[in-house]
Amino acid sequence: MKKNLLLISILILFSLSPFLTSNNFLIRFLTDILIFSILASSWNIIGGYTGYASFGNVVFFGIGAYSTSILMSNTGLGFFVSMILGGIIAALFALLMGLPILRLKGHYFAIATLGVAEAIKALVQNLNITEGNSGIYLPPPEMSVDGIYTFFFYVTLIVLALLLFLTSIIFKNKFGYNLKAIRENEDSANSMGINTTIYKSAAFSLSGFFSGLAGGIYAFQQGFIKPEPVFNVLITIKMIVMSVFGGLGSLFGPLIGAFTIETISEFLSSYFLVAHTLFLGIVIILMILFAPKGMLDIFINIRKKGLSYFRKNIEEHRV
Amino acid sequence: MTLQILINGILKGGLYGLMALGMSLIWGVMNIINIAHGAFIMIGAYITFLLFNFTGIDPFVSLIFSSSIMFLIGYTIQRGIINLVIRAEIFITLILAFGIEIFINNAALMIFSADVRKVKVSYGASNFNMFGVTIPYVRLIAFLLAIAITIILFFFMTRTKSGRAIRATSQDLDGAVLSGVRVSRIYAITFGIGTALAGAAGTLWAIIFPLSPTMGGSLTLKSFVVTIIGGLGTMLGPVIGGLTLGIVESFGTNWFGTTFESLISFSILVIILIFRPKGILGKGKE
Repeated sequence: MKKNLLLISILILFSLSPFLTSNNFLIRFLTDILIFSILASSWNIIGGYTGYASFGNVVFFGIGAYSTSILMSNTGLGFFVSMILGGIIAALFALLMGLPILRLKGHYFAIATLGVAEAIKALVQNLNITEGNSGIYLPPPEMSVDGIYTFFFYVTLIVLALLLFLTSIIFKNKFGYNLKAIRENEDSANSMGINTTIYKSAAFSLSGFFSGLAGGIYAFQQGFIKPEPVFNVLITIKMIVMSVFGGLGSLFGPLIGAFTIETISEFLSSYFLVAHTLFLGIVIILMILFAPKGMLDIFINIRKKGLSYFRKNIEEHRV
Repeated sequence: MTLQILINGILKGGLYGLMALGMSLIWGVMNIINIAHGAFIMIGAYITFLLFNFTGIDPFVSLIFSSSIMFLIGYTIQRGIINLVIRAEIFITLILAFGIEIFINNAALMIFSADVRKVKVSYGASNFNMFGVTIPYVRLIAFLLAIAITIILFFFMTRTKSGRAIRATSQDLDGAVLSGVRVSRIYAITFGIGTALAGAAGTLWAIIFPLSPTMGGSLTLKSFVVTIIGGLGTMLGPVIGGLTLGIVESFGTNWFGTTFESLISFSILVIILIFRPKGILGKGKE
């Protein structure tokens, strides 16, 4: 209970931050953390809870971003309608792509998702409706400058809150237990009468829906999108790294991961303009070596075991 | 014209096969998908470029240097890093390889800048005609060398003690350990050979195509496609996969235009994964 109170007060403080600071740069930075929290939490649904390590989740982000942009600039629909439609299109795509691909396991699933993401990027670069490599401009939001920052902060926060609320309900129910059963042993889950195809597809679509919403927010916030940045494989890698860093298959793990990794990258990019991506590589390597089970696991175990925790972790997985 | 496109595809396909050979070996033996493979090809290409520009060493000769330097780099990376986490969940090694790739690519960007370079050999443009088909000498030699290296690897794997130890480890890990195989060393040698092959492919690539620090990403994905088409666990797989991709790409870009090149290869990847996940030759393990 004490732990929950602390967590809730942190969240309330965080959600009030536009009133506590007038620094737009800071609010924009917090919004970026929220966008990545949505992406990492959505990845966690399929990668963490269900055990299907997707290496192509950026495709939903990109589809959400492009659907929102095309709807807003071509049909004159408002932002919220376009964003939600973008999420639905991303979810339908996840469903469609999941039917054949979710039959694959392990590495083959990872490579197939990566392949689909790259194929869709190549397609977007070549289609007329997406304007190829020249990109799409979105109508700018009609608000005051300060209002824009606050607006995007709260839209992102609400989507994240909705995602966390849904996940916390789902994972206390049959749906969540079935996904866990699939992660632990899919064959036994099948023979226990769980229709694994339906549950896997549902988890994948849910993941796609929220990643698509994040894409829509990102597109409207940027005002201009191109294929290369919104389908960048680095975004998928960040989702995975954030989930692993915070702790796989936990509700708040991805948030901790998003906060830590984005803060580290922001700090590094302000000091090392060119080299900061290089440091991201080093952070990933160090994390895999020393914290493969996430930060939470370290905090829980390091008090009991001390530094031998790290040695034991490596001993467990080395040859 | 059709014959010309076919020959172009075959010549490029031989190089694709060599590119994927190292990836397929590492994947088949250790169950690691080496995302950094393209980055290793890029380093091999830059070694060749630097040697040619500063010492004038012929790029075909620098094949020896690029592959031995890359063997040492690969051996060290496996021994020092990957061996420590190799028994963790499979996507852990996958992210680790991504970390290595990001590191190498950005280090190369800082050292060499994003400029596109070219190895300009004097004989680069010479070619000959046969049955109305134009064949550039460098492409033909690169193709023949790629095939020769594949054959050398075949004999290494079947005829030498280390090669047999590698195959034993991939077939039955516990059995190999019981027979006295030192797995950590064998894994390091395997990864070293894989990166050495990447280095060799990089050298041949640099002779024919321009190079830049970011070229690795698309080459990694092409190596995936080739590996998946050919299937794991055979030496012939990457050759067949490479030739298939080379020919399909050659005809595909001729019909649809070069902008569709990557769309074509990824579509093949996804289709093969869905219908024949074990590849055309199909001996790989799930």
